[in-house]
Amino acid sequence: MEPVIGLNRSPAIECISVSPGAPIWQDVLAQAMTGELVAAMNYTCLSEICDDPAEAADALEHAQGERRHAAAFAAEGLKIGVDVPNNVDAKHWKRLRGVFMGCITERDFIGCLIVQEIMLESFAVASYARVGKVGPGSLGRTFASIAAEEEEHIDHAMAILGTERARDARRFDDKVHRLHLAVMTTLAEMLARECRHGHCEVCHGGCVKPSLPEVALTAAELRGASLQQYLKTLDTLGLPGEVTLAWVAQLPV
Amino acid sequence: MGRSVAGIAFAGRSRRGRSIEVDFALVGHQESWKAAADVLAVLRGPRHAPLPDDDIRDILPWIPPRAVCHVDAASIAGTTARGIYIDSFIPPDRLGAASTHENIARVRGAAACAIGAGAKIVSLGGFSSILIEGNFNRLPEGKDTVFTTGNTLTVGFIVQGIGKMCALEGRSIRASTLLIVGATGDVGSGCARCLAPFVKRVLLGARNVERLRRLAAELEADGVQVEIATDPRQFSAEADLVICAASLASPSLLLGRIAPDAIVCDAGYPKNLAASPRMPRAKVFFGGLGQVTGGLRFAPDFRGILNRHPFPDVVHGCLLEGMALALEGRFEPFSQGRGFITRERVAEIETVAARHGICLAPLFNADGPVDARSDSCKLEPVPA
Repeated sequence: MEPVIGLNRSPAIECISVSPGAPIWQDVLAQAMTGELVAAMNYTCLSEICDDPAEAADALEHAQGERRHAAAFAAEGLKIGVDVPNNVDAKHWKRLRGVFMGCITERDFIGCLIVQEIMLESFAVASYARVGKVGPGSLGRTFASIAAEEEEHIDHAMAILGTERARDARRFDDKVHRLHLAVMTTLAEMLARECRHGHCEVCHGGCVKPSLPEVALTAAELRGASLQQYLKTLDTLGLPGEVTLAWVAQLPV
Repeated sequence: MGRSVAGIAFAGRSRRGRSIEVDFALVGHQESWKAAADVLAVLRGPRHAPLPDDDIRDILPWIPPRAVCHVDAASIAGTTARGIYIDSFIPPDRLGAASTHENIARVRGAAACAIGAGAKIVSLGGFSSILIEGNFNRLPEGKDTVFTTGNTLTVGFIVQGIGKMCALEGRSIRASTLLIVGATGDVGSGCARCLAPFVKRVLLGARNVERLRRLAAELEADGVQVEIATDPRQFSAEADLVICAASLASPSLLLGRIAPDAIVCDAGYPKNLAASPRMPRAKVFFGGLGQVTGGLRFAPDFRGILNRHPFPDVVHGCLLEGMALALEGRFEPFSQGRGFITRERVAEIETVAARHGICLAPLFNADGPVDARSDSCKLEPVPA
């Protein structure tokens, strides 16, 4: 698994000895870093379809922010003595990127925001916050602070999406559902108890999920927290709770 | 769970985005993992395999409070009230004191859903009303929404059930010794006020001795013979009418402490009493339940899933109170706080409910119907 995107790492970071949990954190960091790089690519593409120059500038700024997050995760890996790989072409991430690029092809700005800000960021904010609570030292603090940053830029998208839903709620909800089926199904598979479709192509060895309890995490809580965040975000947009509950209940486990 | 599950918004809108008028909201949760599994199975639909038990236990605690379905209640007077069922998603294994803070947050979240949906009256069902009866000030405020614990109608149905069971068994209420377990709660004290004047003697059991003394003094002022204890095992085994207004930690606590052929009304939440081989002559029934004889309609169809009883359209009295008041067009906080349920208030809500065909459910227990002759709306009033 070769990293497809190189990052400028700070040479000042000193490596420390590898702890027993380091291989697990390595995979957790690799998933997070890959997600950030996919987000950076997504925002870069988004900037190219923005009609409003201010929105384009915002998207580029977000892309830069996501690259900084990826670099921060790489740096945390070095601190615990592990190299953090990334693979934006890993099968799940590739599929998620494909859905986003479908929106780009259609120049569907709203669809892009739904995929990136409602779905992928719900997943990131909730799971980073969980990792932030149990991660050791600066690794935990980095996850927590990036979770908080990601949550901030969701607010900006929520205002745009709320206005869009007010124009035509039915059309908006149908679009969210269509994208939900593509994106949330993939995210749910990523956080399912077992990887039923083979190796995820990001973890450096076997699947990290069964080992997560060794660092006080479980795939179930990451999944639960992510879906809770997603449901709350949809609630805030005004989608009917009973409808979104059924969507989530139908996701694979 | 790190993040609060409460604090969500619910828009009272249809799938198509138009506003829906919501008369009442019912706030509840699932009593068992089996019940939760059945709810999720309906939501998943026939094309998806039911979720494995382990996954249900993983998923359910993370679901924020939200509307699950629409419920229409039809009155025999010809009107219909439109409502929603909101599940607080309190996990069935987290009803204990250790989860009180989290559970109140969940009920608050469910209350916020009801307000967001524009419900004019909200009934707090089951454990929700127990959590909130002493904490009404912790509910969010809605300008056009009122809340009721529904406890007054629950008391009405418990008392009616006692009357009906006594009639079925050929017992005299006047010759009975009544034991109320959980006597100082809102439901227990309401039952005491309604039944104490008509029985020979009353035994009151509860954990708080000060509240017990106050209730005993209130009843004694009306000439009732009262004995109190903080542990039901302190009573002699004379009680032949028993109301468990609070769930017993273990049903065996009653063994040897009541008359062998006692009539036992399980009005606690969750219900966990059953006639056992060690008390084969005890007549146990589930109390506090009523039936909407005009019919209930669920969308999606949760019939028999949300109301898991051997008879159709049977619902807990606490939830029915909100429906009855909605059908009556009386959007008022009929039951709030603890200790305010009187015979007059019970009679008032029973009259409202009966006018719309909401009446005592046929009697049943964990084994099924208590009596084959049980039928709906055949009330056996306690002596006046």
